[in-house]
Amino acid sequence: MIRYGRIFRSFVGAEIKNELAYRLNFVLGLVEMLLVVGTSLGAVLVLFTQAKTLNGWTLPEMIALTGVYYLVQGGVNLIFAPSFEKLMEYVRLGTLDFTLLKPASAQFLVSTRHISIVRISDSVLGFVVLGAGLVMLGEAITPWAALAFALTLACGILAVYSLLLTLVTLSFWFVRVDNILAIFWAFTDAGRFPIDLYPGWLRFTLATIVPIGIAVTVPAEAISGRMSLETFAGMLAGTAFSVVFASWFWRRGLRSYTGASA
Amino acid sequence: MSEAVVHVRGLEKIYKVHERETGVGATVRSFFKRTFKEVPAVGGIDLDIARSEVVGFLGPNGAGKTTTLKVLSGLLYPTGGEASVLGYTPWKREYAFLRRIALLMGNRTQLVWDIPAADSFLVLKQIYAISDHDFQTRLDELVDLLELAPLIHKPVRQLSLGERMKVEFAAGLLHGPEVVFLDEPTLGLDVSMQARIRSFVAELNRRTGATILLTSHYMDDIVALCKRVVVIHHGKILYDGALADLAERMAPYKVVGATLRDGASRADLERYGDVVSNDGAGRVKLRVPRAEAPARTARLVADLGDALADLSLEDPPIEDVIDRVFSGGQLEPAVG
Amino acid sequence: MPLVRTYRALLVAGFQQMAAYRIQSLLWMLFAIIRPVIFLAAWVAIATAQGGAVSGYTVGDFAAYYVCLAWVSQLTMAWNSQEFEWEVNQGRLSAKLLRPLHPIHYSVVDNIVYKLTTLPVLGAILIVIAIAFNAHFRTEPWHLLVFIPAVVLAAGLLFVFGYIIASLAFWATRMRTANTLWQRAAFVFAGSIAPVVLMPAWLQTLTYALPFWYMVGAPTEILQGSVTPERAAFILVGQAVWLTVCYAVFRVVWRRGIRAYSAVGA
Repeated sequence: MIRYGRIFRSFVGAEIKNELAYRLNFVLGLVEMLLVVGTSLGAVLVLFTQAKTLNGWTLPEMIALTGVYYLVQGGVNLIFAPSFEKLMEYVRLGTLDFTLLKPASAQFLVSTRHISIVRISDSVLGFVVLGAGLVMLGEAITPWAALAFALTLACGILAVYSLLLTLVTLSFWFVRVDNILAIFWAFTDAGRFPIDLYPGWLRFTLATIVPIGIAVTVPAEAISGRMSLETFAGMLAGTAFSVVFASWFWRRGLRSYTGASA
Repeated sequence: MSEAVVHVRGLEKIYKVHERETGVGATVRSFFKRTFKEVPAVGGIDLDIARSEVVGFLGPNGAGKTTTLKVLSGLLYPTGGEASVLGYTPWKREYAFLRRIALLMGNRTQLVWDIPAADSFLVLKQIYAISDHDFQTRLDELVDLLELAPLIHKPVRQLSLGERMKVEFAAGLLHGPEVVFLDEPTLGLDVSMQARIRSFVAELNRRTGATILLTSHYMDDIVALCKRVVVIHHGKILYDGALADLAERMAPYKVVGATLRDGASRADLERYGDVVSNDGAGRVKLRVPRAEAPARTARLVADLGDALADLSLEDPPIEDVIDRVFSGGQLEPAVG
Repeated sequence: MPLVRTYRALLVAGFQQMAAYRIQSLLWMLFAIIRPVIFLAAWVAIATAQGGAVSGYTVGDFAAYYVCLAWVSQLTMAWNSQEFEWEVNQGRLSAKLLRPLHPIHYSVVDNIVYKLTTLPVLGAILIVIAIAFNAHFRTEPWHLLVFIPAVVLAAGLLFVFGYIIASLAFWATRMRTANTLWQRAAFVFAGSIAPVVLMPAWLQTLTYALPFWYMVGAPTEILQGSVTPERAAFILVGQAVWLTVCYAVFRVVWRRGIRAYSAVGA
């Protein structure tokens, strides 16, 4: 475990040096994120000039949810998205072999190898917006709510991770998986609103196949005290299942790759 | 006597390749019923390699060299037979095994493009759990041997192909592997860089006693580094032994090079041997059976007298030998 | 006319190429649908909570608006600002500049081919959505007549504006920021968040002043039928003005850009 911590730290170290060397790019990346989060918040504010609640969610609660939205995005885009993008390239070029020669878990290596440091801004901004929403709410956060939030947030990010890993594993069989990933990214937009807003089919999709919906809605519910125990249990169970499935599927993919590569 | 570091018996690797036809009809059909073609890449190989040997795998494209290396390094699992490297079954990919081997592939880089090699080295240090002391010692040695000092702090992207290969080598050897698999290591490099890599590999074997398996297209690699060569063709071993013996068994002839003065007739040179080349300016090459080479050469000299300006007697070029092997030539029984 | 013949040839080639990218193109269409559906769901929730309408916009109106928005978005979209930088880096632009045809024509053809391929499928999906949400269209025949020039002007405006951004690739190394700026501005002002009449007053003023609404939101309102003849005229004039301005700017930027590009050795 400690060893993997050290391995991860070496990944971070290498990446930080690289990204901070391009200071202008880094700063521009931050500016872009400010723009994106700002306009998304703006959208919420515009909606609330015409309404007092959005399907029962008050403005502070919606602001908090927007914060969670970017927290989840940050969590995924910081580590997993860039690593998986590179993984597909490795599979295509045949350089995945090098990863398989290493004396460490291939799943860990391919999931965390490449980090996009600038994406920390997503999470930081998400956190700030979440904080603003909570302040506006004015209620005290119970320790239970905070714990539930942390747990469900972790679950949400893990659920999205599992989905991405599963999609990326498909590249062992189908070369052009970027299309499938594009579908995922398209659905990501739907995470900006609570999923109870959507028609049944969309709600179901965002809770299961493309879990970005519950990854955002459930933690937001948790921290604003509107999460039910069933939801909480369902989230934990669902995430556990998806993680186990994704790991199994990955091993199946590897087995196929090591049987077939020429 | 050293025990076999690499031990292979009856190794087989058959690929199932999905047959593909073009057209909508075929695509729809393949949705429901996939037809497979069996492509044998390796069809029954026996091999034993002792510690610190440097063995060359020779063979045309598709012969099964790379497949064999991949099986031995654990990247592929075979469809039949058994193999053990350092006592481990490679395709189980046990971490203890992976820590003791290395596979380097020519023209393919494991280093991250945008960051300096030195940073990648630090990552490798963690992945292989190399101690600070070992890491520093080996790094210094590799930097020295490969002249890497000006290279490792530049992003890999900015290095030339030759420089990149050198840095790749260092990266691949940082963990001090006991068995090193090299797949076409000098591919695409210019002549001087090829020579440098060759001398480095020889030095590596000398200093660390690492067992080295090397595949290459370039005969010069094999000739320079390997006393023992394994010839693979169509997934089977055609020859396994000393390179020098291969020439004798495979191409039992010598090449006589004669340079004739102006005006000398070349027509009757056929008497002495098969005329292989005639450049029109008086230089002729003859192929002469090895056993009769001294006698025929003497007769040539005597008969031509003054018309002969120059004479040479050489072993057949290694490329010819290999060509003969691959064009299905029979191996002559070993000459005593 | 030689240009017509060239276009015909390019279009044929374009459609042949599209055969390989068909699935990809249809998948990309998902992007076009998801955002309108999301915001439609939001407005439906708001309207329902207020007794079925928000400032005169009923649930049916919202459904019609967003269905039209999705349709118009696809009709007017252009992606040159993202692709151009890649073309420059890959050397493909140089190849195009060697030919006696302005590179922009290739982009126009690609654009048309993509839209012709995806619009039928999108149309079918949108009909389903319209029925599911009980969309209420107020469209009258004259709306449809006015819609044709409006959507053509809108597509032209978006295309040219996008090309101005794309041309920045001649100088800028960080095109991503320019694209993000452009995308976010479109997000706010082109009509995704809300029909412009429902936005706060100051935002409305800004929306009418900037070109983005004229690219998507304005033709949407025409198609949906929620415009008076005066407003329709206002839209057409606005589009014409912006198109003229953008075209002039494009000519200047492009010429300067090509010069800069050739100076470094294309």
